[in-house]
Amino acid sequence: MKQVIDKWGKSFGIYLILMIVFPFVMPDEYYRSVGIIIGLHAIVTIGLCLVMGLAGQISLGQAAFWGIGAYTSAVLTTKYGLSPFVGLVASAIIPGLFAFILGRAIAGLQGYYLAMATLAFGYIVQIGITEWEPVTGGANGMISIPKVTFFGDSELSMYYLIWGVVTCVLLFSLNLLHSRVGRAFRAIHKSEIAATSMGIDVRKFKLNAFVVSGMFAGISGGLYAHYMGILDPQPFGLHESIKFLTMVVIGGMTSIWGALVGTVLINFISEGLIMMSEVIPGLQGDIDTIVFGAILVLIVMFMPEGLVPRLRTLYEKSQAKKAKAKAANLQSDQRVERKATT
Amino acid sequence: MTEFLQYVANGLVSGGIYAIVAVGFITIYNVSKVINLAQGEFLMLGGMVAVAMIGMNVPYVIAVVLAILLVTLVGIMMQKYVIAYVKKANPISLIILTIGISTLFRGVASLIWGKDAFALAPITSNEPISFGGVMVAQQSLWILAAVLIILFLLWYLMERTILGKKINACSVNPMAARLMGISPAKMSMLAFAISGATGAIAGIVIAPLSVTSYDIGVLLGIKGFSAAILGGLGNPLGAAVAAFLLGIVESLGAGYVSSGMKDAIAFLVLIGMLLVKPSGIFGERSVGKGGL
Repeated sequence: MKQVIDKWGKSFGIYLILMIVFPFVMPDEYYRSVGIIIGLHAIVTIGLCLVMGLAGQISLGQAAFWGIGAYTSAVLTTKYGLSPFVGLVASAIIPGLFAFILGRAIAGLQGYYLAMATLAFGYIVQIGITEWEPVTGGANGMISIPKVTFFGDSELSMYYLIWGVVTCVLLFSLNLLHSRVGRAFRAIHKSEIAATSMGIDVRKFKLNAFVVSGMFAGISGGLYAHYMGILDPQPFGLHESIKFLTMVVIGGMTSIWGALVGTVLINFISEGLIMMSEVIPGLQGDIDTIVFGAILVLIVMFMPEGLVPRLRTLYEKSQAKKAKAKAANLQSDQRVERKATT
Repeated sequence: MTEFLQYVANGLVSGGIYAIVAVGFITIYNVSKVINLAQGEFLMLGGMVAVAMIGMNVPYVIAVVLAILLVTLVGIMMQKYVIAYVKKANPISLIILTIGISTLFRGVASLIWGKDAFALAPITSNEPISFGGVMVAQQSLWILAAVLIILFLLWYLMERTILGKKINACSVNPMAARLMGISPAKMSMLAFAISGATGAIAGIVIAPLSVTSYDIGVLLGIKGFSAAILGGLGNPLGAAVAAFLLGIVESLGAGYVSSGMKDAIAFLVLIGMLLVKPSGIFGERSVGKGGL
């Protein structure tokens, strides 16, 4: 924990201030709802970042865990009348269980096989939700899912509830980075063979990352269900999984902060595009699809490490340059002084 | 029994399409070790461009030829300006890259042609032909013919021509191939051109049977890739056989279990296969981890 504070204290302070102040800078209910959605997405992308950046795997089915979480909590609360709290706990456990089973099954897979398996899983879940009509309501979806009212049911209290969860998830993940587990993950990412020979159980670590990411996505899904109040299977498909992927990739796969920054950025771009399509009538179709596709391609081509790591290296370079210039100045000053004295 | 045969016949037709997609994947993969997840979009582009041109009163044959040429060009450009640029990228980056390209194509298509589904006129009449009670659309026969011709030509190219030997050389050992004066970059471009062209043909022949729209590429691409994995990644013959099997299993599942679960069945087969024997029915030809 101490290392985390040493290394991330400044960033974390800035994060806390921005997070707390945002709903008052933008006192409009609409912007608060955007803030809530960003928070929900951030919980998923931080989990995905653990899988991609740390364990060096890829998941193209993250929206499926999100969907399982959402439907778990929605069904438990609406059909069986349980309290949303129980629903939310279940919405972490059930997707975690799914992730565990899938993760165990595909632990030996790598690269393209893994991508394919998670993609197929995503499709199966979406089709399953649509087809299991007696429980999930099928394509028509579910309505009147109870709100979460731990702190009251205003938009503002929901905002703080969700960002509270984001903060917990963030702390957990940052802490993980600086533990034995985090070091093991980085070793796996660099070279699996070397990691294995150092006695790291690569399979177990990968599985853990997968399960944690599934649970995060599930919690976020549960919160999403209670926040929206209605559900249908449509948002839990490939399109959303690719959106999550874009968020993680643009921010920088290897950086938890990158996932957060990427999430905020992509959501702002989405909002901007919606505003633009209201002004420009020619923009039919999925403009956001084009933009996300282009971002993925351009990032891999020109900035494979992502935005946050790139900015950090730039910042460090400029700091180093400044220090160098300072040293050079000092030297020349001394020389001048010496000349003056002689 | 007739019902069963009917499902098998339907399965053979969709299996044929998966076979073309699967072979397209493998052609590119064998040469460049890239899995082009945008493969399905070649089919979408082929079908949509042909429909759009016929809509502009271009004669059927010319529209089809132009559509094939255009998609081939798209394949070449994709290799030349994007894939070749990130030669040193790791597999995860390549997956992200080709997914990005596929998303981009889909978005552009929805912007140009909207989200409606279009139908293309069949090559010959709409009247189905009966084979002892099994009704087969005439277009289905065209599809099967196209599939078999493409598979034969590809086999001939790979096994019986010098060009095919060059492509094979690049897949076996790019360094040695280069020392022999073969340019892996050029062969890779050729592979993209081939899978662009075959994809476009597949997209055009299925357009009359099942309508075409901006988003048909995703599922076709994934199923083709499933077939490629089922057959053993890198093994074109295995992939073609697996594709027909996948088509038949899917069609039987849709008929006897539930038509809504049709796609889920194909993917369950895939996940099952990955668990039991990730190297596929016929074994992975280019041995490697996860095809890398």
